[in-house]
Amino acid sequence: MRRTALWTSLALGCAIAVFVGVLATREPAEVRLADSPLLGKPAPAASGTNIFDGSDVDLAAYEGKWVVLNFFASWCVPCKQEHPQIARFAQRHADDAQVVAVIWDDSVGAAKKFFRENGGDWPVIADPGVTIGLDYGVRGPPESFVIAPDGVVVAKYTGPLTAASLEQVMAGKRAPA
Amino acid sequence: MTSSLRRWAPWAALAVVLAVALVIGSRPAGGPTTSADRVRHIAAELRCPTCRSQSALESDAEVSRAMRAEIQRRVDAGETDAEIRAYFVSKFGKDILLRPEGRGVSALVWILPVVALVAAIAGLVVAFRRWRPRDVTVSDDDRRLVEDALHGGAT
Repeated sequence: MRRTALWTSLALGCAIAVFVGVLATREPAEVRLADSPLLGKPAPAASGTNIFDGSDVDLAAYEGKWVVLNFFASWCVPCKQEHPQIARFAQRHADDAQVVAVIWDDSVGAAKKFFRENGGDWPVIADPGVTIGLDYGVRGPPESFVIAPDGVVVAKYTGPLTAASLEQVMAGKRAPA
Repeated sequence: MTSSLRRWAPWAALAVVLAVALVIGSRPAGGPTTSADRVRHIAAELRCPTCRSQSALESDAEVSRAMRAEIQRRVDAGETDAEIRAYFVSKFGKDILLRPEGRGVSALVWILPVVALVAAIAGLVVAFRRWRPRDVTVSDDDRRLVEDALHGGAT
């Protein structure tokens, strides 16, 4: 009886230790790579009109470059948090990467104001009818997809991005020099 | 009618009633008749991605409205219900489905309750059989005790 209690306690203790270990070592919930059926598949087409200058924006035009497709809203606090990081990334990778923002459940006016206040000069497209959002399986902002130069989705982020995490993905997928 | 037949008849009747109820209960209800019905039917089986525990039919979120519009577009294009559901699964993953699929690990959701019910019934049958008095033989002493108790044995 005493032995059973001892073994049960040991097993329970091990289970709790593993559980705590998993929780302690995983990435914080705010910044994490998420699972998506799109990973490893060609990025769905996405196009629209840049809300700032009226120019056409089409993901297909960026083939050969890394693309960060960022779904955001002006009312979304984590979007505001990640914005300087995206700006830093866009500045550092002006040659080999392109950031494209897609408005999620927000007005064009509010999105323009958001960019005026927070900076950023990458193309921003509206998504009336949420067709791009549905094609990418977006659940809520901020969500970002990293598309490799060959047009394949290699990462999905939920929560605020950091320039470092984007660069990590690029380093992991880039062919060794 | 033999005594064993009489004993089992109520159980057989109960089994028949259960079987009939299961057959009637598991028969699919009349399918959607119009395309609008089909849209509602499919939207009711999909989870609103931005809400908690609401279907794309019940939710008024922008993404749910977009999902209903996409379902309508695909219904009009002649896609089957399964093809439309597969489209949403290919974008959001399996958890976009409110009703788990009846295949793979998800099938356990449907199978386990049935297995649990059958096991519970089997357990009850075994328990009832054990509770039945086993071959009790009444001795003359036992009879005498009862007789005494009934006819003046209480002194």
